[in-house]
Amino acid sequence: MPRPGLPVIALVAAALVYPLVFGSPAAINVGVLILLFAALGTAWNLLGGYAGQISFGHAVFFGIGAYTSTVLLKEAGLSPWLGMLAGAALAALAAVLLGVPTFRLAGHYFAIATIVIGEIAHTVVRNLDAIGGARGLFLPILPTSLVNYQFHNSRLPYYGIAFGLYALALAATLMVERRRIGYYLRAIREDPTASRSVGVSVLQYKLAAAALSAALTAICGTFYAQYVLFIDSDSVFPLSLSILIALTAILGGAGRAYGPLLGAGVLVPLSEITRIAFGGTGRGADLVIYGALIVLISVAQPGGIAALGDALRRRLPQPA
Amino acid sequence: MEIVAQTVASGVLLGLILALSAAGLTLIWGVMDIVNFAHGDFLMLGMYASFFAWAVLGLDPLLALPGVVAALGLFGVVVYLGVIRPVLRGSVLAQIFATFGLGILLRGVAQFVFTADYRQIGDTMATGSFAVGPVHLGLPQTIAALGALIVSGLLFALLDRTTVGTALRATAEDRSAAELMGIDTRRMFALAWAVGAGCVGAAAGLLAIYFPIFPDVGAVFGLLAFVTVALGGFGSVGGAMLAGVLIGVVTSVAGLIFDPAYKFTVAYLLYLVVLVIRPQGLLGRA
Amino acid sequence: MIRAWLAHLAAVVVIAAACVQPGASPAGEGQPTAAAGVFPKEVAIGAVYPLTGALAPTGVDLKNGIDLAVELINSGRSDIDLPLLKDGGGLRNLGGAKLKVIFADSAGDPAKGQSETERLITSDKVAVMTGAFQSAVTATASQAAERLQVPFVNAESSSPTLVARDFKWFFRSTPDDSMFAENFFQFLDDAAKRFPGQVAKKVVILHTDDLFGSDVNKFVRQFAEKYTYEVVGSVGYKLTAPDLTSEIQRLKASAAPILIEASYLADATLAIRTLKQQDVNFQGVLAMDAGFVDTKFIPNVGKDAEYMLTREVWAKDLGTRKPIVKQVNDLFRSKYGTDMNGSSARAFTGIFVIADAINRARSIDPVKIQEALKQTNIPAPQIVMPWDGIQFDARGQNTKGRGIMVQIQGGEYVTVWPLELASKPLIWPMPEWTKR
Repeated sequence: MPRPGLPVIALVAAALVYPLVFGSPAAINVGVLILLFAALGTAWNLLGGYAGQISFGHAVFFGIGAYTSTVLLKEAGLSPWLGMLAGAALAALAAVLLGVPTFRLAGHYFAIATIVIGEIAHTVVRNLDAIGGARGLFLPILPTSLVNYQFHNSRLPYYGIAFGLYALALAATLMVERRRIGYYLRAIREDPTASRSVGVSVLQYKLAAAALSAALTAICGTFYAQYVLFIDSDSVFPLSLSILIALTAILGGAGRAYGPLLGAGVLVPLSEITRIAFGGTGRGADLVIYGALIVLISVAQPGGIAALGDALRRRLPQPA
Repeated sequence: MEIVAQTVASGVLLGLILALSAAGLTLIWGVMDIVNFAHGDFLMLGMYASFFAWAVLGLDPLLALPGVVAALGLFGVVVYLGVIRPVLRGSVLAQIFATFGLGILLRGVAQFVFTADYRQIGDTMATGSFAVGPVHLGLPQTIAALGALIVSGLLFALLDRTTVGTALRATAEDRSAAELMGIDTRRMFALAWAVGAGCVGAAAGLLAIYFPIFPDVGAVFGLLAFVTVALGGFGSVGGAMLAGVLIGVVTSVAGLIFDPAYKFTVAYLLYLVVLVIRPQGLLGRA
Repeated sequence: MIRAWLAHLAAVVVIAAACVQPGASPAGEGQPTAAAGVFPKEVAIGAVYPLTGALAPTGVDLKNGIDLAVELINSGRSDIDLPLLKDGGGLRNLGGAKLKVIFADSAGDPAKGQSETERLITSDKVAVMTGAFQSAVTATASQAAERLQVPFVNAESSSPTLVARDFKWFFRSTPDDSMFAENFFQFLDDAAKRFPGQVAKKVVILHTDDLFGSDVNKFVRQFAEKYTYEVVGSVGYKLTAPDLTSEIQRLKASAAPILIEASYLADATLAIRTLKQQDVNFQGVLAMDAGFVDTKFIPNVGKDAEYMLTREVWAKDLGTRKPIVKQVNDLFRSKYGTDMNGSSARAFTGIFVIADAINRARSIDPVKIQEALKQTNIPAPQIVMPWDGIQFDARGQNTKGRGIMVQIQGGEYVTVWPLELASKPLIWPMPEWTKR
């Protein structure tokens, strides 16, 4: 296992230096997106990478987080920070309820089931007029303050909070890695039958991972709502978001603590840069480049970017 | 009563078309345990092939069908060699990542080359409709559904009655055992992609007769194809047929009973219920 | 072990808190203001539209309309009676400065529309923003402009919620969906006068289940009550439905003689084919633009599109009563190979609203442009739209806009309502499928 000290220090330093070097709001926005997707990918990784349950439905938890805090803010005037906790709890509950019947499904059956669950949630929210339906929800614009979770003069505070979200997700991952649950989850992923026979309660550990993963994802959903100040079913529940979350983790290297950060660090700028440089043409050149690079990366390095680091390390002379 | 008969009949037609588009997916899935997440985009390419055969060469989509099937089959082999074979050594995740990326790439290329305009094939040999008693059936949908039955029958015959089919099934059952018996499994994989993509081409050529064609059209059928395959059981062509018809009829009838915006939700719920009772799908191997 | 990561977490929280200090320097220090007599050579305008994804065809139409408007303003045309064109090119009051539009792709996503708007304002220093077609994207994009205090001129989003937000920097030149929904019933009332006893007072609604479709459903129901029509049913459907049989069967079962439809292109095509195949007939089909006015609608649907009615904001045959419409459309067609449509005409008009305001402001200072926009008063003859002119109220809404109804006759959109703009008489009821 790698020592945690060095990566964490490097990470903190990089995150601090980034807004100093790239001060423009557009660059801060890219920074926020990188951290947000790093957090989402890290949360996904708990279930997909460590427990081996490949989910293409994580937008459900993101949407639950965004809608719960927003509805509580609009209807009851509840602070988004408290709404965030409520959303996290609700998402964890949903993950457990959905996990009990679906964790029995093998590989691809589970993946397709998660897509279907995501589509059902998307359709229901779009047609539920009580929470805005297809019209979505505008968040009330409140004065800039940490308590209100709204900042209108600068995007820097959002950057700080996004960093906190990532740190939280990473801390959860490192905790899981170091505790018994991490070993069990990996054992379950490698050989579910064998681990069951030695007495590991497969379902229980998977449910724990799912609840944690869902809660962290929901917290990111609340952040999105406060960042954009408008949510609708198409922006927080779509299949494309679920897929992007999974791709972020897979690209970086599933089942590795720092993988999703690497994935987000590559995918988000790639998507932003191609769209800014080529999107104005209206011909889809940005999608061509984006898609081609994904295919190239996966063909060249099927283990994800983190595996690339391993390959390099193996070539270096090993210390005695 | 008339309305119910009409709805069920249209549902069956839709279901057969879904089944055909799913047949190619389930074959690849069954033989080599890879999900082609670019499936809907393959379908999109096939529809464009049909469109340009009609618009440029003046070929009726029905006459162009063999060409479209061959073109897609060839494309399947190219994708297998260029993208799939290199990621076989990676994890399942890498394979998912590669096919998702391929889908994005194909959609981007389609928009770049063909523009985002919606295309529609005009009057063809198959345009029109006919009535059976009170039930009206669209000729294009009926031909597409019959085509689905024929292609699926051919697929059955290929898998069940030929040595190549036996080798394909052996590869699907147990890859290493098949290799021990002297079957070149890599060639079988390439063949699975050729036949699987060819089936997608057949579905595309038939759909193009009546459905609008645009770069994102894969999204309309892609997800339903995945659900059809999973409901029927991976690798089971018969299962895909059964599941396709079931989904077609259930969505159509649900559209009458509930708010039509929820008609797919009902089919998806049905799928989840079936999976909980039978995790391997209707006709899948346990 | 736990202590170790707690220590890491603590460090992280300290950093996060440091970043969360409010009152950091505001993003975007305001626009460079031209000193007296010294004008910029170029005035940058930002435009954010869906240039990729499902809505890309419309995005490209909008972009074409804007590109043509910019080309005309920059080169000048003494023979076309549009604002600014007789000044010999560029903005006269700014020393002939040229317009430059910087496009950005929202990909149809509200969050991207917002961040792209922010980027155009802060990095590219655009003086005015325009966009973003979809109302949800316009909502978030204009929010960014409001925060950064740059005028946002919207020319083509029709959700009524947009001007209900009391924004100070938001201006909308197009009429909205509630006005369009009301137009349907005004049209039906007028049609009933002309065809007594042949226009029923019962309608059924077919609509997508997204923002556009559910807004149409809501406002049609609201105005049906006001104009004493009965809505016997609303059928919402999912945009990506591969088959619409059960939806059409519901319309048939409702036995309503008039269909009001809100659909995009692919689903509109499918719906019409299904109506024909199953021989479901109406006195009239009244569509809420979108798919029915797409440049590909008539080519794709062919002769089955005949007699369909759609509300529009623009039609080519307005040129028979307004010569500049024909002049501009001819230019458009020679440049892009297709006729203008409601999207490109509105985006085209939006650029003239912006250019006119900047010219009167004699500056690219946002506050002065905002002031000039409030004073906008473009008369009816100087726009390519069928409106009574352009003038904004306190909410930023153009009060002089209105819709028209067009009918597809002989493969062309023909204006049939309001009567004073009609170029051909209305055909009512539409013939049954089997009698065509």
